[in-house]
Amino acid sequence: MRYLAAVLLLCVLVPFAPARAENEAADRGRILFEQKCASCHTIGGGARVGPDLQGAHQRRSEEWLLRFVTEPDRMIAEKDEIAVRLVEQFNRIVMPNLGLQASEARELLAHIKLVGGTQAAAAPPQPAAAPLPRPDLIAPQSIVLGVFLFVSAIIVLVFAWVGFSTRQPEEVNVKKAYGFRKALFATASAVVVATLVMTMPGAPYAVASLKADRIVYVAARQFDFVFSDEPITSAADLGRIPTMRHLDLPANALVEFRVTSLDVNHGFGVYGPERQLLAQTQAMPGYVNRLRVSLAQPGHYKVFCLEYCAAGHHAMQSGFDVK
Amino acid sequence: MRPANSYTLYWMGVTFLLFPILILLGIYMRTVQAGGLAGTVTWFYPMMTLHGVGMVGVWYVAAMACAADILGRYTEPSPAVRGLALGGTLVGVLLLLACVFLGKFAGGWYFLYPLPFKGEWPAWSAVAFLLSLTVLGATWLVWTLDLLRAIAKKYTLTQALGWHYLAGRDEPAIPPSIMIITVSLIAGVAALAAGVIVLVLFYQELFTGAASDALMVKNLTFFFGHTLVNLAMYLGVAAAYEVLPQYAGRPWKANKIVAISWNTVLLIVLFAYFHHLYMDFVQPGTLQYIGQIASYASAIPAAVVTIFGALLLVYRARMRWNLASLLFFLGLIGWAVGGMGAVIDSTISANVRLHNTLWVPAHFHTYMLAGLVFLVFAYFYHCSQEAAAEPERAGRQKLVSVLMVAGAYGFFLMFYLSGAYSVPRRFATYPAELAHGGAFSAIAAVFATVFLVGFLLYLAETGSRWYKAMQTAS
Repeated sequence: MRYLAAVLLLCVLVPFAPARAENEAADRGRILFEQKCASCHTIGGGARVGPDLQGAHQRRSEEWLLRFVTEPDRMIAEKDEIAVRLVEQFNRIVMPNLGLQASEARELLAHIKLVGGTQAAAAPPQPAAAPLPRPDLIAPQSIVLGVFLFVSAIIVLVFAWVGFSTRQPEEVNVKKAYGFRKALFATASAVVVATLVMTMPGAPYAVASLKADRIVYVAARQFDFVFSDEPITSAADLGRIPTMRHLDLPANALVEFRVTSLDVNHGFGVYGPERQLLAQTQAMPGYVNRLRVSLAQPGHYKVFCLEYCAAGHHAMQSGFDVK
Repeated sequence: MRPANSYTLYWMGVTFLLFPILILLGIYMRTVQAGGLAGTVTWFYPMMTLHGVGMVGVWYVAAMACAADILGRYTEPSPAVRGLALGGTLVGVLLLLACVFLGKFAGGWYFLYPLPFKGEWPAWSAVAFLLSLTVLGATWLVWTLDLLRAIAKKYTLTQALGWHYLAGRDEPAIPPSIMIITVSLIAGVAALAAGVIVLVLFYQELFTGAASDALMVKNLTFFFGHTLVNLAMYLGVAAAYEVLPQYAGRPWKANKIVAISWNTVLLIVLFAYFHHLYMDFVQPGTLQYIGQIASYASAIPAAVVTIFGALLLVYRARMRWNLASLLFFLGLIGWAVGGMGAVIDSTISANVRLHNTLWVPAHFHTYMLAGLVFLVFAYFYHCSQEAAAEPERAGRQKLVSVLMVAGAYGFFLMFYLSGAYSVPRRFATYPAELAHGGAFSAIAAVFATVFLVGFLLYLAETGSRWYKAMQTAS
């Protein structure tokens, strides 16, 4: 009787076993995708640094996909027609060899099939957005430029005056000049001290006593920023910890970005709706920089990488909305 | 007529050969950023790396060559080490060219750890890059130590630093150029030692897989880079101290104030580099504030003693204006203007808006190109002309200066405007939101070309004298 029950159970379960195995593979593929691919690709979200992978398995043969995932460098070197075309299409940013095994490539493919399998056409590379006109300079940037141009003009005028003075040569009173130098030293020292006193309180470093209204964890990696409500400290966390592809922040709230990097140094530069820098910090492997901002103006804010991080550096960007 | 030193002339040749190539790379970069040459965009970052390392390296060795030439008038640097410096530099340059052109290495001139290990370039090219820096660093360290040895043999280091002036004694009289060179070389030893540690850490990871602390390596890297660039600038200023009095017909002597000033510079320059790490909020806060204080403080001796001294030297002097004296004078303006841009950037609250925007290349191009390069060109022309004693054509020399000044400052202005508009540095192309960066780049490329034309005219003016000087070189 017991044998009969076991045989019956097997008869029920065996037909489902391949599907379960496929789902497990796809789930492992999902984690791999988040860890290795999502910095450049989406599945159905449009092209980024690399192509949208939705329906990739229907556009290319499985054999081609598995090989390209495991050894893109060799295929590009061999001038594989499709690989070369992709490089051309995507600003000549070459897909790196990520050291993936064939079994991992199959898991990735299972994930791509599962997520975007029903639609054959991937979103084509987005045409370059139309260039926006030059914005008006915001006040802090304007002040910086104004001070620089003003002081530089004084420097040039003083040099020009001295240079032209040589047309009427005469001996100078060195004693008088040294007296002037003393006054210059005192003035310069006073200006330096006053500027230090005025500007140092504006330093952007977090004040421990102030509690942030919202904490956002940011993990930077080549060439993407990942936002999360939980800390992401290594690439292994990706795919396991929920991340946010879209971030909304309340206006005037004190928001603390806890910024780290999963690979090399990056910059986390926050650009306001006027498309100029409002705040920034570095994203450094092994460290978390806490950047606090209170954003009053509603609108879309962009984040650009401000530390050179290799070929896709200029394409590394993200954003959030302030409401 | 005074025969030129053959090694100085060799260094001039190296500079004249490499500088226009590196300018062309700069024009190429601005053209790509403007949307031109789109098919070559994958070469942008390798060329950026070559342009950066190349320019810093060329102007460091050119400034060292000036310093070695000045020292040769007072001391006896080793001829063997002079040869080693030239040979080692050429080997380093060849390795650099190989890793960039054959391996497309693109780690940037300060190769921030761990980027060299994590780029799209092959591993061998990163190793070749590290080897290139090792050869260059070791060579330059030996060169620096030999020059210090030569100074110490003649004066003792405390005398060369002018400490006897601080104690109220005027004897022995130390030429101010010697004092500045000594300060710069001591800072150079510290910078190169930091560079050696960075390289050792890279090699350690390469051979053992042991990762380093990113913040520590960043501190070492910027200490190395910041100090090296600044001391190159100081060596150019030393050349002005040495030669400009000859054209002004007045002395520019060392005294207690000059000694205080340059000893203070030695101390300050070692702490100012913290301003490169303002946006690394995990760096201890005290160091950030020290960075701003040191950066501001460094402006005082530069403005009150050196710039003021130079202006006093020239004011109403019976000045003999020629290409050398004009470029020395213009070089000091470039140092002052670029220094102002740097001081603004070293204000922490302004740095938030400027860090890693094009404001950074704006100010360092100002004090390197319109500062150091003009000072070195002035010295090179002066040496060639002293040896060749050819008749000078004032009109042509003015044209050279006008073209280089117009080209350079027009080029800088595009950087400053871009920086004020928050256009990031080191972007191969600009996104739609920052498309105005492309327009600034296009104008900058035109101005850079004007500078290049000015340089070629300078080359024609100096090159003939250089060739003649080679025939009588000592």
